[in-house]
Amino acid sequence: MNMPSLQTIEHFLQDEADLLDCADLENWINLFTEDGTYWMPATPDQDDPLNHISHIYDDRVMMEIRKRNFVHPRAASKEPTIRCSHLLGNIRLHGVSSDGLLRVESKFHVVVWYRESQRIYAGRCEHLLRQEEDQLKIYRKRVDLLNADGPQQSLILYL
Amino acid sequence: MTIDVQELDQLVQPTRLHKRLYTDPAIFELEMERIWGQAWIFIGHESQVPNTGDYFSTHINHKIPVLMVRDKAARVHVLHNRCPHKGARIVENRSGNVRGAFRCPYHGWTFQFDGSLVKIPNEKGYDGTGFEINSACNNLAPVAQYDSYRGFVFATLSAEAPPLKEWLGGAIACFDNLCDRSPEGEVEVAGGVLRYEHDCNWKFILENLNDTMHPMVVHQSVVQSAQSYIESLPADATRERSEAEIILPFGSSYEKFEDSGITGFRYGHHYDGGKSSIHADYAVMPAYHAAMVQAYGEERTRDIYSFNTHNTLYYPSLTIKTAVQNIRVVRPIAVDRFIVETWSFRLKGAPDEMLQRTLLYSRLINSAMGMVGPDDLAVYRRAQEGLASTGHDWVEFHRGFGKDVTLADRVTAGGTSDLDMRTQYKAWKEYMTGEAFR
Repeated sequence: MNMPSLQTIEHFLQDEADLLDCADLENWINLFTEDGTYWMPATPDQDDPLNHISHIYDDRVMMEIRKRNFVHPRAASKEPTIRCSHLLGNIRLHGVSSDGLLRVESKFHVVVWYRESQRIYAGRCEHLLRQEEDQLKIYRKRVDLLNADGPQQSLILYL
Repeated sequence: MTIDVQELDQLVQPTRLHKRLYTDPAIFELEMERIWGQAWIFIGHESQVPNTGDYFSTHINHKIPVLMVRDKAARVHVLHNRCPHKGARIVENRSGNVRGAFRCPYHGWTFQFDGSLVKIPNEKGYDGTGFEINSACNNLAPVAQYDSYRGFVFATLSAEAPPLKEWLGGAIACFDNLCDRSPEGEVEVAGGVLRYEHDCNWKFILENLNDTMHPMVVHQSVVQSAQSYIESLPADATRERSEAEIILPFGSSYEKFEDSGITGFRYGHHYDGGKSSIHADYAVMPAYHAAMVQAYGEERTRDIYSFNTHNTLYYPSLTIKTAVQNIRVVRPIAVDRFIVETWSFRLKGAPDEMLQRTLLYSRLINSAMGMVGPDDLAVYRRAQEGLASTGHDWVEFHRGFGKDVTLADRVTAGGTSDLDMRTQYKAWKEYMTGEAFR
């Protein structure tokens, strides 16, 4: 994999965030490699998604199920309007590993509107990206919430 | 403000409850004093404090801070987290290790891990003041009673509460089954905790645990989403995944839930399932089965597997899933607010895959970002807000009324019965009117 420019990566992350803000899960899931995962750990510095609890650790199969659930007419938690708005920054490229994965770190603020109230999530994001033919794909997206180990309210979106 | 016994008696009737139970802050305060202030409350598991000086801090009701700590003789104590001097909480963090002795951060009084006072700085200033330095009232106060069963530590603020084992009654079988599912007969906390804020009254989750008329309605969306995904797969694709085993049974039929039965005990404890539950058809992992058979033999192993419960409630603070090996702990905050903690357990001597399945369950079902818990909370919230209505003053629970089968130490019914409601509100009334330990 050739090292893409910072601007290419910035546009990629912004496009990804925009798909989440537009609730376009179909196209968002397609950004992931077939073996891609989305991980939101439940403690800071967590190094294991399997032997430690996480808020979310989804592969493509679970993403497909969430996508269907998100628009199911009988999901009580999804009946109120839910929207989010991502703001990304501090994007840093950390180089390509020997197995061809580009590691990108960024910071995020996401404002979520749900059940007549607004709340804010903040934290650090790590993308491991792989070049597949002429496209960048997400092999792993890791979202470390600032309050990962704090009490959480229902969150029925990917951040 | 107090509420007299006749009034409390009117609020809880055999087949209906007054909405004030969920909305009235004065009732909540009384519950904290009389239910949470008398019942044995789950504090934590001994495996959370494996070494001398390890502590875990929590609240025994909505306010009273307590800590669980292991002393130099390896005994576990539950102490009030409050310096006897000026009142400062002795430990600040939720868990950690203290070397040597507790030291109050305010004036430096130090205490052994059993709570006894070690030293007061510059103590000669107390000479001749009537201050009794050797009096137990200068120790970190122990909670009135504390004890553990198979590592599960409970404490009660009541000196009158019966011994823990007696209070657990026949429901103790579920602790035994959870621990016996370990080839070594022991479990330990593993893989961290999830804390989930619920903006509704604490009783909603207890009422929901064994309300088997709700899963096929509330969880229809996730079950159908999983089914529709599975149906979209090509014919030769793998369909066997732990996620499917976990999610799909939430859509089980009314008949299946009815068949699995429900059993209630004194003090509000109850479980549904027994001979079967929505967890009964999980694949038995070969390496785990081999370890079990080696430890217990084939017949006893089958016996252990065959007692398969769904949720067991130890009223009011703890609910356990024996077949999944996780627990949820209720920590009330206000009339319309509480936190649920989900802890997962490792079966000692079992392969890592068992813990991984437990954590998968906790993540899919009990996470605030899951596809099951948020739908449960959404309906509790609607009830919390709907109960402000003046259209009706009562919630009802007639199902199976008059049909419960009363045995020596327990009451049983078909699984879709409201026996769980009758069991817990009988205890509610006994605690609230001062009859529980008479």
